[in-house]
Amino acid sequence: MADSSDGGVPPAQIVQPTGNHRIKLNVGGKLFETTSSTLQVGGHDSLLAALSSRHATENDEREPIFIDRDPEIFSTLLSLLRSGRLPSAARRRFSKQDLAEEALYYGIEGRLRSALSPPPLMGINATLASTIVPAAEAHPTALYAGSDDGSIWIAHGGQISAYDSNLNHSGTVRTHLEDIASLRCIWPEIAAIGSLQTPGLHLYDVSSGRQVASVNWSDPSDPRVYKARVTAIGATEPGYNGRRHIFAAFECPHRENCILSVDRSTLQIVSEIGRLSGSGSKTSSPGKLVDLTEVGGGVVFASAVSSGAFGYSGYMRLWDPRTGKAVWETSEPGSGVRSGRFGDSFADVDVDRKEMAIYKVCWKSGDLAVADMRKLSEDPWLYLEERSAALRSAGGGANSIVSCYNGQVFVSRESGLEVWSRAEEESEEGEGDAQRKKIWRRNFVDREDDAKRGLIRGMEAGGDRLFVCRSGVEGVEVWESSNFSGAICLF
Amino acid sequence: MPPFAGAATTALLCPYKPPETSIVTLNVGGRVFQTTAQTLAAAGPSSLLSAPPSFIDRDPDLFASLLALLRTGRLPSSAATDDISDLAAEAEFYGIDPRVLHSSSSSSSSLSLRRSLLLPLPGRDPVAVLSASPSGELLAAHGSKISSFDFSLRRRKTILTSLPAVDSLLSLRNSSLAFAGAADFPGLQILDLSSGTLVKTLNWHPHPSAPSATVQAVCEAADRQLLFSSYESGRRNSSAILAFDLNSGGDFRPVYEISRREIFGAELDSAIPATKLKWVPSLNLLMTAGSHWGPSGVVGNIQLWDVRAGGTPTAIFNLNEKDDCFADVTVSDDLSALFKVGANSGDVFMADLRKLEAGEPWFRLGGGRWNGGKNEGKACRIESEGRQVFCSRGGDIEMWSEVAMAAAPEFEEKVMRRNLMGREKDMGGARILQMVFGGKRMAVARSGECCVEVWESSDRS
Repeated sequence: MADSSDGGVPPAQIVQPTGNHRIKLNVGGKLFETTSSTLQVGGHDSLLAALSSRHATENDEREPIFIDRDPEIFSTLLSLLRSGRLPSAARRRFSKQDLAEEALYYGIEGRLRSALSPPPLMGINATLASTIVPAAEAHPTALYAGSDDGSIWIAHGGQISAYDSNLNHSGTVRTHLEDIASLRCIWPEIAAIGSLQTPGLHLYDVSSGRQVASVNWSDPSDPRVYKARVTAIGATEPGYNGRRHIFAAFECPHRENCILSVDRSTLQIVSEIGRLSGSGSKTSSPGKLVDLTEVGGGVVFASAVSSGAFGYSGYMRLWDPRTGKAVWETSEPGSGVRSGRFGDSFADVDVDRKEMAIYKVCWKSGDLAVADMRKLSEDPWLYLEERSAALRSAGGGANSIVSCYNGQVFVSRESGLEVWSRAEEESEEGEGDAQRKKIWRRNFVDREDDAKRGLIRGMEAGGDRLFVCRSGVEGVEVWESSNFSGAICLF
Repeated sequence: MPPFAGAATTALLCPYKPPETSIVTLNVGGRVFQTTAQTLAAAGPSSLLSAPPSFIDRDPDLFASLLALLRTGRLPSSAATDDISDLAAEAEFYGIDPRVLHSSSSSSSSLSLRRSLLLPLPGRDPVAVLSASPSGELLAAHGSKISSFDFSLRRRKTILTSLPAVDSLLSLRNSSLAFAGAADFPGLQILDLSSGTLVKTLNWHPHPSAPSATVQAVCEAADRQLLFSSYESGRRNSSAILAFDLNSGGDFRPVYEISRREIFGAELDSAIPATKLKWVPSLNLLMTAGSHWGPSGVVGNIQLWDVRAGGTPTAIFNLNEKDDCFADVTVSDDLSALFKVGANSGDVFMADLRKLEAGEPWFRLGGGRWNGGKNEGKACRIESEGRQVFCSRGGDIEMWSEVAMAAAPEFEEKVMRRNLMGREKDMGGARILQMVFGGKRMAVARSGECCVEVWESSDRS
């Protein structure tokens, strides 16, 4: 397990302002002396803050407050409150679990979490920090890291394993599905899952391990609509922007499909969007759904990709759930694509909600292109170019996966992993008054050895971590940035 | 010299110590420490400890280590090597002069440098160029990225530049700024390493209408607050060295332009741009050198510029090299001499800076693996640090040191002898691209390696 950051927390105050007084503590027989402001750093509802305020009211030189806990771990946690960083000796002596449990007792777990969580994820600086391997049938089929605190849910072999922000295993649930293909969180601890084998959208309580509810697509006027399986789920994080609906793409055995809008609380189907039938590349069921609450009063992004003997084909659409109509669409190969790019359709696509951009990777050229969602047109794509000659040729984009995070775009190339990030540059057009602009740069995240482990099948970024799973490989790789150099001693 | 030898002697020489007044009692995090004002004064005048409050709410264990450091000038062995970054953060809190921590590493002899650390660089780009600050911070450029390591080498930060590949790199002393240039892309970029942002681009236009030139080398004259940058135009027909003012409040104004060369006609050798710049602080000299590998062999040019205050510098020495031209050249301030490694012979040569006028300046020290071949020294690199000269041959490094001889007339020149560095298991390895020195360490970049190799001196056997 790699070390993590210092946390960007301000240090405790040195000079004593008014109302800040010294406090003596006796923890497990060892004496400590600190100030009330240090103890209150952990949050006003922590045990330590409560002790400091109780002491303040009695305001005299009394016996030290006795706490019957381990003094060594307390010394480490006090150091954390004072300086905002965990001493590196403590990282070696105590496991994250030890520290987390003790911090929970004192009520300063939030402070500890920010000190233990990795620094902002930078693709140019990320290294493989650890690999999470669930106990059994550990080939992941779906990942969810959207809670953005560094925790992850892994679907594998019909089970869902949850890992907390320290990547400690917090529980595994066996579901009735054999193969979970999509996994989203719709309420804290409630997972929505779908399978390509078993019909229905199913909700599971991950903490208790119980099935909560199911949603099925039916149409009283059309008896052929039954046993519809879920190909994609699109849901914002619980509480995000007050979005009440979740979206799931359903597909019947005879290939008829639609997107259902489902109320998060009542689990009633609210509306049916984009009902399509047929097996053409423009009418197949979406493999990716993203709920874009920010765009055009709340639209849903849906995309489908299929690969055949003549390459890839697919579509992207933006649906307005209120009218049930598509407000923008593009299908490839075909509409709108400039002639030089014909036949070079997209292999994967991802949406950056924060930057309002769509990124696609082309299967033949391997090029990455971006479309600004505020200026969508028939051909909105801007193809990113690398300046360094050694990195200009990307290789093909077949099997590539795109994942956006923090203004960066991670792209897998078979088994290799690259990142596109932006660097600032001064251009010289205006004499004297240099223009600043940001240019995209391509870099490899991994080393050549890393790329020998197998084809990348899934990527999910969240909580300053990038989770990667590979075809035929057990477990999930965790990539993090680190402030530590990882120096290797040669003595 | 022990770093606080001065302070310790004054304390000893002082026969009378007022007993009560000089003892300082401190309560740090509930533990009581007693020390003297003299000890605390070693922390520097701007430190919190120069006027200590009676109670400091910090970790007492870390303070104990810092106090031991202030008392003896070295860290106690109980403070394990890994804790150096904790101590650095704690020293920063107390406002202790960072030099105290830097000087705490015990041994400083170049003769005991050992290959000790590998610093991995993220991604797949191999290391291209290094830069080290005197206090031990290290920069490494790999591809378009720059990784910076703190003086303990335990922490790393990586930033992205817009340059296709960084070829010249310099960390500015006592600041978070770095200068980066590329041989195939215009402009010298000033980057803020802490925020990863571009501060400014320093351009040189050979003519007002010409596009900006590419950067071949950079060098800092810290005592004069000057930065020298060697530019070559995109069309490769003109070159110059520009001096920028580091003192003008972040403006980086160009001060003057020296060594301007233009190619007219086919006289290619007349306009070799300088690819190596070295500053000699004690003599106010700038060494510039560039060479050209052509079909007729190697030709090169070495110049020394007198950079005194006021006026444009003048070249006081100009040497055009044809036979056994340098593959690499450097200048040593402590030894007052130029050192080169011959491209053909692979021999190391020395030229005394005080005897440059007299005919052939070079004195052959030897060392080449002479077997009648050519290009023996082609990939060799030569650098000097203190009173030593380091020369790389392929993957190996040899060190030339001066032997102090009793005055004897038979030795006209300094007596320099060489040793191969490292033990048998350290030999070989990929070709060495660069050796840099700082903080009593040597950092080595090897061709195609995605890591930086660090040599440190150690007292451990």
